[in-house]
Amino acid sequence: MGAFGQNALSTMTKNPSSEIPQGRLALIFSAPALLILAVTVLVPLAYAIYLSFHRYNLKRAKRPFAGFRNYEKILTDDKFWDSLATSFIFAVSAVAVITVVAFFLALLLNQDFAGRGILRALLLIPWAIPDVVNALLWKWLLHPAFGVMNALFQMGGIIDQYVAWLTTMPSAMIWVIIAYSWKNIPLATLLILAGLQTIPKTLLEAAELEGANAWKRTQYITLPLLRPTLTVVLIFETIFALKVFDIIYVLTSGGPGKSTTVLGWSIYINTFKKLDFGTGSALAMILGLLTLFIAIVFYAFLDRGEKQ
Amino acid sequence: MKRKNLTRYILLYLASALFLVVFIGPFLWLVSSSLQLERQLVKVPIVWLPDPLSLASYKEIFMGAFFDEAVVSSHKISSSYQSRIYLGSFLNSGIIAFSVSFFSVVFGAYAAYPIARLNFRGRYTLLFSILVVRLVPALALAIPIVLFAKKMGMNDNLVTLILINMSFVLPYTIWLLQAYFKTIPTELEDAARMDGCNRFQVANKIIIPLSIPGLTTAGILAFLLSWGEFLFALLITETEQSFTSTVVAAMFANDVDVNYVTIIAAGVLAVIPPVIFALFFQKYIISGLLSGAVKN
Repeated sequence: MGAFGQNALSTMTKNPSSEIPQGRLALIFSAPALLILAVTVLVPLAYAIYLSFHRYNLKRAKRPFAGFRNYEKILTDDKFWDSLATSFIFAVSAVAVITVVAFFLALLLNQDFAGRGILRALLLIPWAIPDVVNALLWKWLLHPAFGVMNALFQMGGIIDQYVAWLTTMPSAMIWVIIAYSWKNIPLATLLILAGLQTIPKTLLEAAELEGANAWKRTQYITLPLLRPTLTVVLIFETIFALKVFDIIYVLTSGGPGKSTTVLGWSIYINTFKKLDFGTGSALAMILGLLTLFIAIVFYAFLDRGEKQ
Repeated sequence: MKRKNLTRYILLYLASALFLVVFIGPFLWLVSSSLQLERQLVKVPIVWLPDPLSLASYKEIFMGAFFDEAVVSSHKISSSYQSRIYLGSFLNSGIIAFSVSFFSVVFGAYAAYPIARLNFRGRYTLLFSILVVRLVPALALAIPIVLFAKKMGMNDNLVTLILINMSFVLPYTIWLLQAYFKTIPTELEDAARMDGCNRFQVANKIIIPLSIPGLTTAGILAFLLSWGEFLFALLITETEQSFTSTVVAAMFANDVDVNYVTIIAAGVLAVIPPVIFALFFQKYIISGLLSGAVKN
């Protein structure tokens, strides 16, 4: 009401005829951006929801309404639960690796020493590499016959013979997680570093004078104060990790067997290989709802933490 | 005390060295591999340092494209085709990334201005719903978009990819710019309004010129995001006229017939623009990435 009063006042004091209402003005200003978002997000989203309730296979001419049958088919299919589990294993491990490594890296970069600026700049290299090229890079490092990882591990005595890392069972998943984390740690590090820099130095110095060692200071001062930042990092990283696709496409194609078939990969296969757009859309909706659910849970958690 | 400082520095530099090996090592290994000959790459035991340094892989990509020559891989067929689609894809990625940066900064700035400056109902709803858009998984949108594009004859088309990339980039741009605009003192704007400028003139003559650093950050992030986009590029492109560098990199990486040195050189070329951008504009990028997070 106050805003309206102010607005009316300013309209009266200036030339009233040239003044467009602010709401309409805002709409005019943001029209091009909103139009693009509507065409590329809202309309497709609505159509994806429509598709998820139809039998829609490109190989068939008839596309009848199917109600919840696509969803039913998915939820009663073991393959779905397998890929959901794979997605969770991937997301939980990757987010854990990313957050822990990024936390320690940020602690390092928060120290005062010559060369810190260079390190921070170099950290942008893995971040700037496109996902696909990151996958290409790791595929080469892990090459079964000519990869440098095999050479290094053999030199270090960890393996006797060269290993086909990406086509054997547990190692394929482990390396996908490592390759994915490698690229995503830098951004998380920068975010955590920004959080660290808001913690007053005097607080840590006072604790040091009181005789608290580095571990105690981290545990009782840094970590609690960093909680909001860490929650934001966790939200973003989890949402991104659940959508993983690019790196799977190049590194493993969901294999060996189904061991790296995450939800994203199974949506891709169902839709664009099996041409079953109905089931693919329903799967994509499930992934979307899952993402939304996780975002809300994290958000509630963050909210509660801030109120405490 | 001095002793303690020394150990502190030793520990810090040891940690830094470890950091460099882990985070820069793999990238350097890729670059170093691209400077070898195919026969060095496939040597067991491994060749640690390229000797001699060779630009043959790059020559293959460039010469193959222009002169139909297979420089390195006489035994492998179609290498000139591969290098030709590679250079074209590089150009396509550049066109997409530059157009997306330009248009998303322009449209984003105009969309961010009212959120930062005007007082209207639903201002935060608008900002929030623009951000929620980013929560929708790309795969959910990919299915209808591919169908639409096919129906409208807009598949295999750079314009389609530019539009799609803008929808990913715009929410970030708007978020970043509205935060930046809020840091500009309102007095300047009020003075201009007193002098009879309307809102459009204020935005064009005061806010935008004063926001060059913010606009630059937004533009660079847009460039990096759209250069690296893969899923839609994979689904929309069909021929070499619209292949992007990520599509070709994935194609090479999954093709057993392409020799390693060409794959690797293609990978290195595809990271050169984003990595150079990132290092050159690191201050802008770091401030941009952080401004969104801290305000959150």
